[in-house]
Amino acid sequence: MLLPEFEFHEPTTVSEACEIMGRLREKARPLAGGTDLIVNMKRKLILPDCVVSLAKIEDLQRIVRENGFLKIGACVTAAEIAASDDVEKAFGALAQGARVLGSPLVRNLATIAGNVVSGRPAADLPPALMVYGARAVLAKTSGERAVDLNDFFKGPGKTVMEPDEILTKILLEVPKGHCGGSYIKLGVRQTLEISLVNVAAFIALEKQDGPIREARVVLGSVGPTPIRATSAEELLRGQSPSDALFARAAKAAAADAKPIDDFRGSAEYRRDMVDVLAKRALTQALDRATSR
Amino acid sequence: MKKLIRLNINEKDYEIAVKPNQTLADVIRYEIGLTGTKKGCEVGECGSCTVILDGKPVNSCLVLAVQADGKNILTIEGLETEQGLHPIQKAFIEKGAVQCGFCTSGMILSAKSLLERNPDADEKEIREAISGNLCRCTGYQKIVEAIASVKDQRSVS
Repeated sequence: MLLPEFEFHEPTTVSEACEIMGRLREKARPLAGGTDLIVNMKRKLILPDCVVSLAKIEDLQRIVRENGFLKIGACVTAAEIAASDDVEKAFGALAQGARVLGSPLVRNLATIAGNVVSGRPAADLPPALMVYGARAVLAKTSGERAVDLNDFFKGPGKTVMEPDEILTKILLEVPKGHCGGSYIKLGVRQTLEISLVNVAAFIALEKQDGPIREARVVLGSVGPTPIRATSAEELLRGQSPSDALFARAAKAAAADAKPIDDFRGSAEYRRDMVDVLAKRALTQALDRATSR
Repeated sequence: MKKLIRLNINEKDYEIAVKPNQTLADVIRYEIGLTGTKKGCEVGECGSCTVILDGKPVNSCLVLAVQADGKNILTIEGLETEQGLHPIQKAFIEKGAVQCGFCTSGMILSAKSLLERNPDADEKEIREAISGNLCRCTGYQKIVEAIASVKDQRSVS
C-alpha cells in the first residue's frame, strides 16, 4: 500500500508549525503518532500536499503538572498516559482509556491529540477526558484558544478546529476532594477493537460519606459524537449514592444514548449495554471517590 | 525531494536518502535489505512489521522513515549474537511456536520487549503483550508457552 507523495516539514516550535498551517491550511496536515493519518493517507482518504510533523517540538512531548492543572502535550502517547503516575492518581478514567486504546504496538505511537482531533465517535480518550472537563488548546498564528471538549466534537470526523489550527495540549484541572472516575469499554475482543459502547463516569462527593456534589457521565459510540448523559447527571446531583440511584441513573443514560444499527451491533443491544456499563462505571467511580 | 537520514539498525549505522512517503518498514526491507521485518496489513493491525524503535515496539508500517531519523532500531536480525540465537528464538523453535513464520519476527520482538520490562510476566501479561501481533495460523498456545518457558529458564538460572 503506497503512500501518496507529499512534502514533509519538521518544525521545532509551535509558532513555526502554525506559520506553515496558516500558509497551507487544508493542503497541510499535522502529524503526531500517525496511527490515523498514515492509514487514511494509505487508503487515499486524506491526501495532503504537505505533512507537518510535531515530533520535534519539545513542548508537545511532555506531561506537565502546574498550578492545579495537568497539561498533556499533543504528542504524548497512549502508553505514556497509561504509565503516568499523575494521570493514574487524579484521572483514573483517562488511564483506563489509554490502556485499552488500539494494541500495545499502537499505544507506543498513538497520541492524545490524534485520538481527539480524529473525532471518531468510538474513540477511547474523549469520553474519559470529557468527564473531567478537559479543554483542548488550539493554536494558530493569531493566537490560541482553549475549547471545552464538550463543545469540540461536531460529528463523525468533524470538530470545531479550523484548517490552520493545531491542537497543542490538553488541559485538565486536577479535581479536589473525594472524587473518582471510571472508563469502561465494550467490544467483542480485547485488542484492536473499536468500541461497541464505551462509558466514562465521574463522581465528586461533598464529603467521604456524603451526597454527590457533581456527576458526569459520557457515552461513546452511541451517537455521532461522544454524548453527555445529562439526564443521568441531573438525577445523580445532590443525591446520596446507592445501587438503586445508580440503577436509575443508568436507565436515564440509556435513554440519552442515540445508538444506530450497524454491522458491529444493533441499536437495541447498544442501548442495553449503556445501562449495564453506566452502572458499573458509576460504581467504580464511587469506589475511587470514597477511597481518596 | 529526498532527505538524508541516519538510522542505527541493529547497532549498525546507516546513512540513507529517503522520500517522505517511504515508511520505515519499506526502508528496512527494500533499502537496507533486512526482510525479517514483514509487511502484512500495512495499517497497524497485524503486527508483522514490528520493530523496536528507541526501546519501544511499534508498527513500522505506520512510521515514516524520515520520522525515524537519528533513532535506534532493533529488527529480528539484531537478536542473534556470536553466541547463537536469542533465548526467545530458541524457545520458539523448541516449543514449536513457528508455523508459517510470518508473525514470528513481530511476536519475538514484542515478547523481548515484555520480558525486559517484566521478566516474571504471567500468562495474562504475555497474551496482553502480544495482543497487537496476529498469528493467522492461530498458533497462540505454543507461542505463549515458548515465551513463558524463557521466563522459567531465567528464574531457574
